[in-house]
Amino acid sequence: MGHHIIQEVSQEKFEFTGRAKMIAIGLFVIGAILAGVGAMDVKSNWDSIGHHATEVVHLDDATESHKETEHGDHHATPAHEGHSHAKEDTKDLHSATDHHAEIVDGHHGPTWMTRVWANLLLNSYYFWLFAVSALFFIAVNYVANAGWAVMLKRIMEAQTSYLYLGSAILLAVVIGSRHTLYHWVQYFDDPSAPTDAILDSKAWLLNNTSLFFFIPFVLISWILIRMKLRNNSISEDKDEGLSMFKSSTKWSAFFIFFFAFTFSALSWLIIMSIDAHWYSTMFSVYNFAISFVTGLSVMMVIVQYLKAKGYMEMVSDEVVHDLGKFMFAFCVFWGYIFLSQWLLIWYTNLPEETVYFAARLEGGYKTLFAINIFMCFLAPFLVLMMRNAKRSPKVLLTAAAVILVGHWVDTYLLIMPGTVGDKAGIGMLEIGTTVAFAGIFMYVVLNSLSKANMYPINHPYVLESANHDVGP
Amino acid sequence: MIDKSILLDDKTFTVGIFDDSDKLLNAVGTLKKKGVKIFDCYTPFPVHHLDKALGYDRTNISIGAFLCGLLGSLTGFTLAYSMNVVDWPMIIGGKPQDISVFTSFIPVIFELTILFTAFGMVILFFARTRMIHGIKEDLLSRRQTDDHMVLAIDNGETQDLSASEIQSLLTSEGAIEVDASRTSFNTSLTDEEELAKQLMTT
Repeated sequence: MGHHIIQEVSQEKFEFTGRAKMIAIGLFVIGAILAGVGAMDVKSNWDSIGHHATEVVHLDDATESHKETEHGDHHATPAHEGHSHAKEDTKDLHSATDHHAEIVDGHHGPTWMTRVWANLLLNSYYFWLFAVSALFFIAVNYVANAGWAVMLKRIMEAQTSYLYLGSAILLAVVIGSRHTLYHWVQYFDDPSAPTDAILDSKAWLLNNTSLFFFIPFVLISWILIRMKLRNNSISEDKDEGLSMFKSSTKWSAFFIFFFAFTFSALSWLIIMSIDAHWYSTMFSVYNFAISFVTGLSVMMVIVQYLKAKGYMEMVSDEVVHDLGKFMFAFCVFWGYIFLSQWLLIWYTNLPEETVYFAARLEGGYKTLFAINIFMCFLAPFLVLMMRNAKRSPKVLLTAAAVILVGHWVDTYLLIMPGTVGDKAGIGMLEIGTTVAFAGIFMYVVLNSLSKANMYPINHPYVLESANHDVGP
Repeated sequence: MIDKSILLDDKTFTVGIFDDSDKLLNAVGTLKKKGVKIFDCYTPFPVHHLDKALGYDRTNISIGAFLCGLLGSLTGFTLAYSMNVVDWPMIIGGKPQDISVFTSFIPVIFELTILFTAFGMVILFFARTRMIHGIKEDLLSRRQTDDHMVLAIDNGETQDLSASEIQSLLTSEGAIEVDASRTSFNTSLTDEEELAKQLMTT
């Protein structure tokens, strides 16, 4: 019998057909229209959305004692509280933002624009994570001298091509929404605000320098490293030899080191600072777990799409199987990180930490919280555990879809409770924005995929990947 | 649980001994193509694709692993629940003493799942491969545990090819030694003569 050894990889090139372009643009247009209609709907019905008196009372009970002891009488996060310690001077807060007109009783409560901004932040962050994790995965493969995924390298590179646009959108949204979404920006911009010791102690990180210089610096650095790795990969196609491989390995090693610090800092600045009084040392790892598992799932979706279109014949079931194993492994990793964060906060029961989960276990968020754990951990864990599941395109695609939706909900839970509060919901606005972002992402990625050959044919490990075998 | 069909007692074999795993793999392929029924191969290390070449199905031991893990999970839950809720409820950190403290059971459940799976797999693996304490070790060649690979064909099996055809096939496939009637010997009765004989022939 003997086994067939592939000696040469036959090159192919992805063609970004007019039909695929139409689908991507159509997704964007439909999503944008849906989001626009949804936003108008939210605007006109804002007062009647989500006010459930009993739940509000619960939330206040849960957080009130904490606020009074920790922050004095400062106007803290949940904005819908009906208490009388709101200061007259808060009316003058951030007059630059248009939502001020909506404020009725001196609170800077969420307005329909808050929900729009929060929703934009959610989707720009979520899709940006796909690109970030793909870049990290390329770097890890170089540093670990791993060969199995080389046949998929161009897919990862295509994913990272969203880094340019995604970073720009993310930066624009973070800066544009800073007065609306970030309580600490409101606090530091308002000299008359009552002193908040916790926010003052965080002023070394949460300040305008971080916002306007550090975040762009990190985003641009990553883009530059991405350009270097991509250029190496493209020029490797033309000339053989190890020089490009060695250069990429060095840059990858640097990137991983740099990434560990900068990704943590970005996750604190962009997401954790929404709940500015709260902190968790697990938070950046948690964001990384979301990033990596969703990036792998997107990669799986692209592989299956290309295979269905008749490309990537050379990518064997074995490579796809290992990608499925990675998805499985990082679902478990997410579960582990989630539990680590939850368990410590639940056990110690300190008010300044439990406030985070208290907000997420009230009202409509409770269901989403359960759905999140089910879709991100339990369901993929039980399904992807089976070997046959990891070799079946249908099951893999379903699992990837479940993971992607689950982590969308996960990111939603990171952002919404601290910004929109009980006025949040998943409606036309949220779904439309997500669809529009999916259209943009699809266009960018497929466009990048069509720009280069499908396989990095002169990569030293390309034959290892082509002949990859996971064993019995 | 122990698969009797893998026992070598009371059988004589035609063996081809190889010193190269690729040659063994090719020989298995060639013999299978000619319709020769191969009893088994004995190698000192796992030879890739040999299981496929011999036509073996995938092992079901992973189902055993899952069941062991499930048993471990249930044991962990039962243990934690019966201790903390039923048998000896204690107030820890002001927490209630009911199922709502499920979170604190998870480490116990996790650890016992790992423990049961690990021990279960070791026991299952040894049982399945017949490596049980006190068992007689069957060898067709001493150096099958060192650097030689043995391809064994049961002489009791009716073959399409004649014995001499099979032997010449083995030789042409690069076997360094072909023996038409080899019986297994038992290493637990260390027989110096047997050892000397084996070493001389190989």
